Amino acid sequence: MANSSSGMAVDDECKLKFLELKAKRIYRFIVFKIEEKIQQVTIEKLGSPEETYDDFSSSLPADECRYAVFDFDFTTDENCQKSKIFFIAWAPETSRVRSKMLYASSKDRFKRELDGIQVELQATDPSEMSIDIIRGRAL
Amino acid sequence: MYGGDEVSAIVIDLGSHTCKAGYAGEDAPKAVFPSVVGSIDQMEVDDAANTDTNSGAAMDAKSNAKTPDSDKSKGKRKLYVGSQALGYRRDNMEVISPFKDGIVADWDIVDNIWDHAFRECLLIDPTEHPMLLAEPSSNPQQQREKAAELMFEKYKVPALFLAKNAVLTSFASGRATSLVVDCGGGSTTIAPVHDGYVLQKAVGTSLIGGEFLTDCLLKSLESKGIKIKPRYSFKRKEVRPGDFQPFDVDFPNTTESYRLYSQRVIASDIKDSVCRAPDSPYDESAYANIPMTPYELPDGQTIEIGSDRFKIPDVLFNPTLSQTIPGMESLSEFAPSVRGLSQMVIESINKCDVDIRRELFSSILLAGGTASMQQLKERLEKDLLEESPQAARVKVLASGNTTERRFSVWIGGSILASLGSFQQMWFSKTEYEEHGASYVQRKCP
Repeated sequence: MANSSSGMAVDDECKLKFLELKAKRIYRFIVFKIEEKIQQVTIEKLGSPEETYDDFSSSLPADECRYAVFDFDFTTDENCQKSKIFFIAWAPETSRVRSKMLYASSKDRFKRELDGIQVELQATDPSEMSIDIIRGRAL
Repeated sequence: MYGGDEVSAIVIDLGSHTCKAGYAGEDAPKAVFPSVVGSIDQMEVDDAANTDTNSGAAMDAKSNAKTPDSDKSKGKRKLYVGSQALGYRRDNMEVISPFKDGIVADWDIVDNIWDHAFRECLLIDPTEHPMLLAEPSSNPQQQREKAAELMFEKYKVPALFLAKNAVLTSFASGRATSLVVDCGGGSTTIAPVHDGYVLQKAVGTSLIGGEFLTDCLLKSLESKGIKIKPRYSFKRKEVRPGDFQPFDVDFPNTTESYRLYSQRVIASDIKDSVCRAPDSPYDESAYANIPMTPYELPDGQTIEIGSDRFKIPDVLFNPTLSQTIPGMESLSEFAPSVRGLSQMVIESINKCDVDIRRELFSSILLAGGTASMQQLKERLEKDLLEESPQAARVKVLASGNTTERRFSVWIGGSILASLGSFQQMWFSKTEYEEHGASYVQRKCP
């Protein structure tokens, strides 16, 4: 256990939907939100496989923190179809300190629940999670 | 598990220079006072002490029948805690610090500081509130156990948590992974944090912090013939209506350490008002002709500060610069390997695993009291861009809000301790009684 973790619990639905994203590939992305009142990480939004990366990035609020998982399809230099699962910790500069603290201190525990994340990013503005950066990290 | 979240927790960040204390959930600490205390040997003072207690700034009589001062006389010395108590000059009062090389060496002083925070600043009963203490990133085990023991045995707190400085700063900026550059009063610490763990092997510290810069400024001004008169050493009298003249007052029994403390208070204000980090390494000739900035000292004399405005902050980047200041040549003694800020950052990152270096370079967090220095962030970013590997995307982040920058550790602790879900994480009194102080290692890793 990391020092100073918040002790936030994780809704089982998060694990189930993540497994579906990973194994059945029926979602493109999942956005997670912390509900402070019930002290749990819950699902805020599910993206269908047809949705694009732009749809995904526009579903992250500009001034609030979120966690998100994105299934990124790409083609390697050898023309090989691949996909990688990204975990993104979204903490925009303009969000409240309380929200930043809440998400950062709950992340370690939450990430452990999601087995199969291949790349992890933390972003404070859209430029830190642009499609170029995603592609760069995937290859 | 500690179950009561209806009473708010108390958060204390005892830094090398200032102690920050307040209620969890608030935006800023209620009490901010020096981490140094005044000490008078009881052997030397007998009658004089009694008159002192009453006139002294040591809080007023509303707290108790017996004055707070009498609580503090432990053993053979009497300690004076808090800015007010320290602001009042007393014969033979030495100014001493509980720290030595960044860790607590005198627990009796810490005990007095906590006591001051609880009973005189926050006016709370420690037996009712859980305590969250911020601690240095590489605090040795026996220090942590000692803190737990004192809190549970003496203050009988219901629950305790020890959180690491760097982790709190990192979390408060929304990052679980970052490189925390904490420019504090007594030292500068560089600590990489990965997923909420401090990477102990890569932590770097240097004794060059705000206090060192203040001393440089003080000596540099002295070498130019400017003498800073401590506030106690003169009285201002109105010679004509509206015209005040300072008259020196002589106190032969003032200790050297108290004189220095009082001078530092003034020099530190000069530093905060006029100093600014230069855009590129300081060069004597380039700054020879810059315009002078006036500053009015408490005794009414106005001094002019020129190149020192830029030279002093540059010591952070180039510590050897301090050796050109008369009276500060001692640097070579305390560490021959003192590095500048940007070298320390790069060294620390290079000690980390290759896989996370890129991420660390792009989230360097600048925090601490000295981080509010103008242009410090820009200069650090510029130097790092020049010295870092090509592929690295260097990004230095600092909160735009000075309070958040200065108190990032405390604010992080304040939010953490106020989270509903955190209530299960406390190291409770029952657990302490069952498992002993060493259990702190398990509860607060």
